[in-house]
Amino acid sequence: MAETTEAVPVRPARPPRSIRSAALTTVLVLPASLWYIILLVLPLAIVVVMSFGLQGNHGSYAPGFTLDNYGSAFERLTPFTTSLWLSLAGTILCLLAALPIAYFIATRAGRRKSLFIVLLVVPFWTSFLIRTYAWLTILGPDGLGGFIGDSIGDPGFRILGTPAAVLLGVVYGYLPLMIFPIYVTLERMDRTLVEASKDLGAGRWSTFRQITLPIILPGLLTGSILVFIPLMGEYVIPAILGYGRVFLIGNQLVLQFLESRNWPEGAARAVVLILIMLVSVIFYLWFANRGRKTREVSVI
Amino acid sequence: MTDQDLDQVIRRMAQTPLSRRGFMYAGGLSAAAAFLAACSSGGSSSPSAAATTSAAPTSAASEAPTASAAPSVAAVVVEKELFMYNWGDYVDPDNMKAFQQEFGVDKFTYDTFASNDEMMAKFQGGATGQWDISAPTANFVPAMRDQGFIQKLDLPHIPNAALIDDTFKKQWWDPTDEWQLPKDWGTTGITVRTKFVKEEVKTWKAFFEVAPKYTGRIVIVDSPDDVFVAPLKALGYSLNSVDPTELGQARELLLALAPHVLALDSDQYNTKIETGEAVLGLTWTGGILELRDKPATADVEYLIPDDGTVFWMDTWVVLADAPHPNAANAFLNFILEPHHQALETMTNQYASCSSAAKEFIDPKVTSDPALYVPADVQAKLEGQKDNSGSKLRASIYEEFKSKIGQA
Repeated sequence: MAETTEAVPVRPARPPRSIRSAALTTVLVLPASLWYIILLVLPLAIVVVMSFGLQGNHGSYAPGFTLDNYGSAFERLTPFTTSLWLSLAGTILCLLAALPIAYFIATRAGRRKSLFIVLLVVPFWTSFLIRTYAWLTILGPDGLGGFIGDSIGDPGFRILGTPAAVLLGVVYGYLPLMIFPIYVTLERMDRTLVEASKDLGAGRWSTFRQITLPIILPGLLTGSILVFIPLMGEYVIPAILGYGRVFLIGNQLVLQFLESRNWPEGAARAVVLILIMLVSVIFYLWFANRGRKTREVSVI
Repeated sequence: MTDQDLDQVIRRMAQTPLSRRGFMYAGGLSAAAAFLAACSSGGSSSPSAAATTSAAPTSAASEAPTASAAPSVAAVVVEKELFMYNWGDYVDPDNMKAFQQEFGVDKFTYDTFASNDEMMAKFQGGATGQWDISAPTANFVPAMRDQGFIQKLDLPHIPNAALIDDTFKKQWWDPTDEWQLPKDWGTTGITVRTKFVKEEVKTWKAFFEVAPKYTGRIVIVDSPDDVFVAPLKALGYSLNSVDPTELGQARELLLALAPHVLALDSDQYNTKIETGEAVLGLTWTGGILELRDKPATADVEYLIPDDGTVFWMDTWVVLADAPHPNAANAFLNFILEPHHQALETMTNQYASCSSAAKEFIDPKVTSDPALYVPADVQAKLEGQKDNSGSKLRASIYEEFKSKIGQA
């Protein structure tokens, strides 16, 4: 452990930058910056501006300035709390499912490692929507739902249209996003550390807790954020597998933009959501990093 | 990873539209859904089955001398492409193929929307010049006209417009009949599986009364205008009401109903009725009427409630900045030909606005009171206004939607 912590701060002194390399840097960074500005900053700015505007005559947006949209953004918070609950549960379930899979692929799969990786990627070649619709058949009255209902003798039993179905769809859809970051950290991990730990008398559990877990923590964090953030905006899975009975903040936004066509109110709600996410993710990262530092200190 | 994630989000954004009037999964799934359906004729979905049964009248009709209009339309150069923005599966695939063949249109793109509001939101977001033709419900036409989303029809090149019945002309949404052509019309009513529902549900009032007995077995189309019909009519008000007291009462009925609802679903409501997952529904006729012909679902009944319901009409409009105006005109003229109208009616299960089509339609269909509503029942129907400006309706609907299935 001490070795790895020492390795981090060693940073070679920077060579003096020439004008040419500065120009090169600018050129290389340009496409990414443009992408960032056009596809992220600009739309975000539009949303923020819109959130202070008025609803147009036929819906949509009319220029103006009002704070009313923010007043109503805090009404009816149930969709938000449902989203939060589902995202947390979904992230934890993904984490629990992804960890063994990633561990298996990284350490036990041997020659078939790339095969498993390919198998994880293959579903992405099919539309997400089609894959979600496929679950309708699997879980439906002619599928698993009906089968379980018949077995327990309850014709009213169903899986579709319940939070469980939505959770299942969520874990199915987002699992790869969790597996890959964990897999990468596990793959890079120095196996000899585990051996050393065992040689020094640590059991399986304490080896996992003191060696493996701290090393793969960045992967777990990346994976959790990759799953949690899009999950907070999820609206397709609850609409299809949840039969619209699970109403999330994403569904509320869709409703406001596409059906009520009250864009300013929808925009205000979106801004509030973005801010909450931003703050919670910053807090999460800060907390996680702080945790790591204290652990390192205690080891030293 | 992030790329995949982004890709997924983009894909989802592009493909969310679920069809209101469609009966099959693919309808909402792909941008060129109807094209796919046309390619996979004989596939698993119901529209192709409907198309095959109705093939006979088409061929019979095309042998007969076709409408006099053809030459004048052919005189202009029809573009090789046509871009349509429509409800899912809302044009008969055989009609699409026949149109492509007749006019040499190589590429027929069929994009879908799930609700009028979604379509409107797209145009308000600046998506003009992308499509030639769309099919909004009539009460949305004035707003589209006022915002410059549609253009005046080139009626000299659509001579078959003369075949539209007078009943559908000079309506409030288009007093001069120069912005839209009636596509078809229908009602929103009550669907019952009589095998499971023993009570008589002949009114919206009864619908709300029996609902608590069928918790988790009620399906409702996800369309604000249609959902408000039920409580407002049950209370004896106009379905276009924006009166706060009346809407307040309607809200209470809706919120009492919400916990018992299985799903808000404009796309798969018929499937849910078919499997028996839902035994009671607030639905359109599309995808429902054909269930009555299947032995397993012969107990399906669609009825127009005695306390009245909505009469809605969908229209064809040519969009402003349409890239292929000639192809658009050719299509509109083509689709209004009686035998093509007949095929549309039999496939979509909505009544044609042109009685000239009647002789080409299976008599079983034209004598169906659910589709060709008898005059005394027609008196109970009320037209739709444009209520999309009512914030109260919007917020009640949102509240209703968020309470679905919540005990």
